[in-house]
Amino acid sequence: MNNHKIDVEKPKSVVAIVKDDDQLRGVELQDKNGTVELLWTRRSEGAQADWGQFAAVCGVSPEQTGPENDRRVIVGYTSAGTIFHYAMVPAVGEKEIASMVELQAESRLPLPADQIELAWRTEVVEDGQIGITMAVARKVQLKTFAESVRSLRPAKILLDCEGIVQAWRTIFSGDETKAVVLSMGSGNTQVCLVEHGRLSNAVVLDVGREDFLREAERELSETNERFSQDLRSVLELFGCSQQSDLPIFLLSDGDAFHVSIVSSLRMAQLNARVALPEVHRLQADIELDAEELYEYRASIGLGLMAFEEGDKELNIFSGVYRPAEKKEKAHWLYSSKLAGALAAFMLLLLAFVAYAVDVKSPEAIKKRLQASVSDMDMDLLVERQQLIRAVAQERPDMLHLLKLVNDSGERGISLSSLQFKKGQVVTISGQVGNNDQLRDFEKKLQETKGIEEVNCTPTTDSKGKKITFKMNFHYKNFTQKKVKRTSLGRP
Amino acid sequence: MIDKLSEKDIRVLKLGAIGAVVILLFVLGSGWRDRWVAAKSKGTALQAKLDVIDVDKIKQAGLLSIVPAFEMPKVEDEQSFLFRDKLSEQFKKAGIKNKPLQVQPSRKSPRPGYNLLLVKGSAKCNFSQVLDFLARLNENPYLVGIEEFKIKKSDPKKPQVVDLDLTVSTFVRLGKKGGGL
Repeated sequence: MNNHKIDVEKPKSVVAIVKDDDQLRGVELQDKNGTVELLWTRRSEGAQADWGQFAAVCGVSPEQTGPENDRRVIVGYTSAGTIFHYAMVPAVGEKEIASMVELQAESRLPLPADQIELAWRTEVVEDGQIGITMAVARKVQLKTFAESVRSLRPAKILLDCEGIVQAWRTIFSGDETKAVVLSMGSGNTQVCLVEHGRLSNAVVLDVGREDFLREAERELSETNERFSQDLRSVLELFGCSQQSDLPIFLLSDGDAFHVSIVSSLRMAQLNARVALPEVHRLQADIELDAEELYEYRASIGLGLMAFEEGDKELNIFSGVYRPAEKKEKAHWLYSSKLAGALAAFMLLLLAFVAYAVDVKSPEAIKKRLQASVSDMDMDLLVERQQLIRAVAQERPDMLHLLKLVNDSGERGISLSSLQFKKGQVVTISGQVGNNDQLRDFEKKLQETKGIEEVNCTPTTDSKGKKITFKMNFHYKNFTQKKVKRTSLGRP
Repeated sequence: MIDKLSEKDIRVLKLGAIGAVVILLFVLGSGWRDRWVAAKSKGTALQAKLDVIDVDKIKQAGLLSIVPAFEMPKVEDEQSFLFRDKLSEQFKKAGIKNKPLQVQPSRKSPRPGYNLLLVKGSAKCNFSQVLDFLARLNENPYLVGIEEFKIKKSDPKKPQVVDLDLTVSTFVRLGKKGGGL
């Protein structure tokens, strides 16, 4: 199965371009009230034409053909480098079928799985067996081709042999359940096995119109013989060698050359016929004849496929080319305009609410205060509270200071004075029995919370027995000069 | 009639309409904005006042332990009298016979609207009396803080007797008479 679903929405107009015999051939088909109409046909001048230039000649620009437009571009990829295989597998689940298909594909192409691209689709179920059509190609070739046509922004890149089959069914009136369709080019011939109206296998033979035309009379019969032999081998490959009545249709524009080939095939016991295009099967804005329909058969076929429902084509490019996807129309809820309008409304609402809150808050506070403090003057209350705070910051606890000093000293220490003045260090003086006592006293004071930077100056008593001392230190922040200056200023 | 207007005319009309709406919005919006700013600043000021009054219980308890009594300051003469009177009473309660209290000229306080008045007192008393006095000092509703405190043993033979020098401060209201809370 194709790895991902590509755009299945029916376009109004399709430009299909195929490279055939080194020439690009393009057509535009348009859906007019359910009837497909051919608008124009164009081919490139000279060999090795450039896709981009030809698209410009066809009036195709990426802006016109994007997924958001009704005009699509379909590009045909030549099936020459593609290997087809048809297999019957048990009709099991899709996952199991996928595994079987991958195994078969790897066995068909002697390349690692990462170097190949595989597309497959299921066909009809018969006696519990399901038919699988597979197409395998080298990834690098597909990538190169996809790059060469990327500027066209094609909606799909399809195998041209699928276009041939579609054209046979539509304009060559092919309605057989099972048939082989031959589409002869200048240097090769596409042999397509068609079952139930769809391509189930294909092979490209390297014998083409040029091979028949350049040979002399004697050698022509050899070419005919070789062509018949090749065709028999292909039928054998298709598993149809025993089906002698299997119709083989050679697509033709009515040229006698095609008739002669069919005659030679019939002489080789093959049920070959010429299939002629029926001009009336396709409405057109231009004058159409069988030759033109024949020349543009692959392009027309691919274009017609785009108008069909479903996506059952073999999309071998699904892994290497992803067309631009149509932006889905978002729900109106996701509209940026609506989001902007809502945001603007919310912003206005926010501003209004903020305004209302700011206007109402002072009144609410006043009401609350009136309810709680009755007739008291609020300003006076505030001032009182601020003064109490200021006083609390200015009021040193002398009892606490005396207690701290007393608790730090041991027995034997006799204090004679204590002096405190805001903005100056606290000074104490006294006597101790020995130096150890003094050291301990100083140490304990230093470790006391609220007392900092203790300095001690011992002096020996004139009688020599006791040591007198003077000690100063900072008490909390009351003795710091800067505090004295600023504390009252605090609210 | 609108059919007769050219595309250019319609564009001019649209721009004119947008301009009119912008002018209207600007006029209404600026008045609205002024009212909003005024209301906002009023609200902020009130909220700040509320924050001052509405102190949490723990903080209030802490303040009360330091300032258990407080009277709003009066003008200098009245405040000086009340403060000295209360201070003398507290000395008396502690059993301290203090020398006459000296009032120093009031000086500028960093707190706007108030000056700081210092009162100096001295006495010879027992150390236990000093402790008793200090323990009750915070109950003085006019006291701001102790500016200076000095005790010194006056006689080595009487270790309990000390010389006390104390300078305390009070706020005095500047200008008109203060309220009485």
